[in-house]
Amino acid sequence: MRRLAVLLMLGLCVFVTRLAAAHHSFAAYFDGQKAVTLTGEVVSVEWTNPHFHFSVDVEDADGVVARWRFEGFPPNMLVRQGWRRDETLTAGATITVEGWAARSEPNAGAARWVTLPDGRKLAAGPPAGTGGR
Amino acid sequence: MNTPRAWLASVAAALAVAVAPLAAQPSAEQPVPRTANGKPDLSGIWVATGAILLFEGQEAFAAARAADAAAGRPAGNTNETPPYKPEAEAQRQYYLSRQGIDDPMARCLLTGVPRINFRPLPFEIVQLPDRVIMLYEIHHAFRIIPTDGRPHPEDAEPSYLGESVGRWDGDTLVIDVTSFNTNTWLTGVGTIHTEDLRVTERYTRDSFDTIRYEVTMEDPAVLTRPWTLRETFRLRPGERIREYECIESNEDLQRFERLLQESRATERAR
Repeated sequence: MRRLAVLLMLGLCVFVTRLAAAHHSFAAYFDGQKAVTLTGEVVSVEWTNPHFHFSVDVEDADGVVARWRFEGFPPNMLVRQGWRRDETLTAGATITVEGWAARSEPNAGAARWVTLPDGRKLAAGPPAGTGGR
Repeated sequence: MNTPRAWLASVAAALAVAVAPLAAQPSAEQPVPRTANGKPDLSGIWVATGAILLFEGQEAFAAARAADAAAGRPAGNTNETPPYKPEAEAQRQYYLSRQGIDDPMARCLLTGVPRINFRPLPFEIVQLPDRVIMLYEIHHAFRIIPTDGRPHPEDAEPSYLGESVGRWDGDTLVIDVTSFNTNTWLTGVGTIHTEDLRVTERYTRDSFDTIRYEVTMEDPAVLTRPWTLRETFRLRPGERIREYECIESNEDLQRFERLLQESRATERAR
């Protein structure tokens, strides 16, 4: 079953977007088939290279809160997409994140889009890729 | 407004307003700029067409590819299957099966040639009479490429970006790159090479906005034949090279080490 999963993943790698993250192999850590869309409250933002990270508290239907940590573009690309450090994403803001979950680690993900409280939707990270180039 | 001078001034102002939007648009109509010695000037900030997807989204990316097709530029083919000999291909498949966790780039090592040109971050070309300088945003890397006819240095050590010398073949800048170490991949996951790798790059500014890039990799120990890839680089007016640092918060080092340990444990358990 595990081998089948690996084969499926490899097959997927051929078809998903060729362009990889600026830095690393997406598929090693994240799962391009595990798309997630989560809404929650920003806890912290780490404006660092080669990726920025942010944490979001997401409450499920039973009121249980899970703290998700997302990874995205480096600051150079964020600024090109309209982000500004300490202004765009701030603790306490309620946002919606679209991206992909990590393959095995719980509550970790790669962010593709973030919808801000003012309705703006900004690219937060690259499309799911393989590191193929 | 009743003097000829005032009338001329208002016409000039009206013209300036009318022409401004045209001037703001990069246009294929603009001629390819040339330097004092008559060579095409490659100076500017460029990015591989693949990166347009990240910079401007799917629509702009598709439009760029369509424009290339209309202009007769070859489609970027950086994902084609490399012509590896069986043993090297087996090695590549092994790296693919491990989903790229062995990628030297993920460990923040300098990205080699030509892979560095395909990364989704811009690079600046500065063309001088006797050399061409390439400034890459990724890893803050640079290459200095003499174009004054000198040969490769005799004391060249194997290196990540290799040793480059350039020459003009008509309107095409041809760069010969040798003296590579083996800590880089050519393009995708597992595209290994030996120290005998020779890379020939051809840069042709075929319009104001585009450079046709063709790169041929020769490495008879692992490749069955020279392997050629093509891509179009696009001018990015208003862009500037920003900082990109790779070590600061690179969590891949720990992650990949953990994944490697897991895969070793799985292999032992078999």
